[in-house]
Amino acid sequence: MTGESALTRGPDRLWPLLLASVALHAGVFAAAFLARPPAVVDLDQKPIVAKLVRLGEKRPEQWLPRRDVPPPEAAPRAPDAVPIPVPGPPAPPAQKTVALPAPKVAPKPTPPRPASATTGGKGSDALSRALDKVRKDDKLASKERWGDPSGVSGGDATDASEGDRYLGLVTQALQASYRLPATISEQERAQLKATVVLTVEADGRVSTFRFEKRSGNAAFDQALERAVRESRLPPPPPELRQRYRTVGVGVNFKV
Amino acid sequence: MRKLLVALALLVPALALAQRQYIDVGSPDFRPLALAVTNFPAGPGAQADAIDVQQTFRDDLALTGFFDLLDPRSFLADASEGTSASSIRFTRWTDVGAEGLVKAVVKREGALVTGELHLYDVRAGREVLYRVYKERTARALAHRFADDVLQFYTREPGIFRTRIAAIRKGKGSWDLVLMDVDGKGAEVLRRENTITLLPAWRPDGGEILVTSYRSGKPEIWGFRVPDGTARPVISLGDLASGAVYSPDGRSIAFTASVDGNSDVYVSSADGTGIRRLTSDPATDTSPTWSPDGRRIAFISSRSGNPHVYVMNADGTDQRRLTFKGNYNQTPRWSPRGDQIAFTARDERKVFDVFLVSPETGKIARVTQDQGRTNEEPSWAPNGRLLVLVSDRGGRPQLVVANPAGDRQRVITADAAGVASPTWGPAAP
Repeated sequence: MTGESALTRGPDRLWPLLLASVALHAGVFAAAFLARPPAVVDLDQKPIVAKLVRLGEKRPEQWLPRRDVPPPEAAPRAPDAVPIPVPGPPAPPAQKTVALPAPKVAPKPTPPRPASATTGGKGSDALSRALDKVRKDDKLASKERWGDPSGVSGGDATDASEGDRYLGLVTQALQASYRLPATISEQERAQLKATVVLTVEADGRVSTFRFEKRSGNAAFDQALERAVRESRLPPPPPELRQRYRTVGVGVNFKV
Repeated sequence: MRKLLVALALLVPALALAQRQYIDVGSPDFRPLALAVTNFPAGPGAQADAIDVQQTFRDDLALTGFFDLLDPRSFLADASEGTSASSIRFTRWTDVGAEGLVKAVVKREGALVTGELHLYDVRAGREVLYRVYKERTARALAHRFADDVLQFYTREPGIFRTRIAAIRKGKGSWDLVLMDVDGKGAEVLRRENTITLLPAWRPDGGEILVTSYRSGKPEIWGFRVPDGTARPVISLGDLASGAVYSPDGRSIAFTASVDGNSDVYVSSADGTGIRRLTSDPATDTSPTWSPDGRRIAFISSRSGNPHVYVMNADGTDQRRLTFKGNYNQTPRWSPRGDQIAFTARDERKVFDVFLVSPETGKIARVTQDQGRTNEEPSWAPNGRLLVLVSDRGGRPQLVVANPAGDRQRVITADAAGVASPTWGPAAP
């Protein structure tokens, strides 16, 4: 049986090798575990500011900003806006103007502008020029969402910054539901700050919410609780699930 | 062993804390407070007044952008429900989404309109404000109610009894007009037959400075409120214009052109003691005071294009504030101090109103895609609203907007058009 190969006698030969391998691995892991530097307790850990930059063209630096959300009323006229009363004839400069009659409250309806249907050589030239201008303006006006060529399509920031991607998405989700009563005054707004700790389940559900630091303003603290309840956080990446379920994430809410 | 356990117990939370990451969430969306206003019952002969009070009151509150006034059709008035908190079924108001509830009763007493105002916190289920007033007009009563409700929620004085001054240009006439913050109750303080521009209030509301061509060149004149009596204030060089009182009313900052160079000057309130603050050969103009009176923002073209600059009130430490845009003008410092509103021309050659932080230089936009010209902003005394001029409806009219720009309302409909608004001081 001297001609038998090593493979056919596997069980006899492999056991020592396997044992040696296991011992070696255990040794390496033990060494790595024992040689691990002591945990650094950094209570003043700097908050991570994460923004997802929108994919798009960069708006020139020297240009004035454009709003992402245009004012809601594009060009309305208040239906109840009233004309100002007209006084009598102009008075000589040195004289006082006498008191005015009571204002007429009846609003003057604006006559509908006749639709212009210009035809003919010169007229249509002017018209096409005007139309070209409008189109050009529209083209510029339509470019409302500026970003960065290296951005992402769901981004909501115009400027770049580094940050953890998942925390960026959490920030975005909380931001979307972060609403406060408009009646909180400016003076109060400047003081408003609170820190909450959330633990997040594998499906993104917030399982616990607790204040690490309250603001002292009941309306504000209530609004934060509501904002978190109404938000939909994305599920954490698998490798971080344990961490977000136990350690959680801290959120500094400010105004 | 026990020591080890204690050490472990201490270490575990510390480790957890060390691993936790913190994110910042800021810039909240300020959501209007949902307010239900019921129909105001009227005493004998006061039906028209009650309707007027209610409409004016609703319009005032809507103007601020702080309130979402529920559509009266969304709730049915319960005739049995009175004004005492015990008679109100608050759960019904919660169901329609109301956070605040307003009730009022309007009566006539001879020439006076009297009213009582009740404000309830719906969630708490109790009355939080009760006021009784006698006023000469229904509108005055409504403005008082609105001021009280605004003050209750913001803990700041209301602005509904203030007046806005503006210039209405006619054919060969310039009217200095005064109106309520909703554009109503307008009157002409003074009609001029020479060019009259750039009105600005004295902080006590007793006078309005204007730039007037009464003697053939631009000079500063003052028109007394409420009788319109005119007095000459400053005449200097080829041109003196755009005068503004300091917040304490003791000084005036203005632009003057002497020997062809336009600079910013200050004088005392009577026009004496004139001092030059800028001396750059480029144009320096349009001064506006910080609310503490220690700084002045102005426009200078020393960089090649007009931009907003800031300096100390004695002219020292002049520095550039805006670096965006290429035609920035008409700065107005907010009474809160944290923003300067200005007009700027953007890359599409339209004029819009912007805000710049005097501390950081960060610029925010107020108007956008609303006509070709939105300009000449002026702040309400609480710094929570702006009045500006817009051609969005054709002729230039006044628009009241919040600084965020998401609430805007056209308040005038004048055939000739209105310009250069200036928001008057808070009512005493």
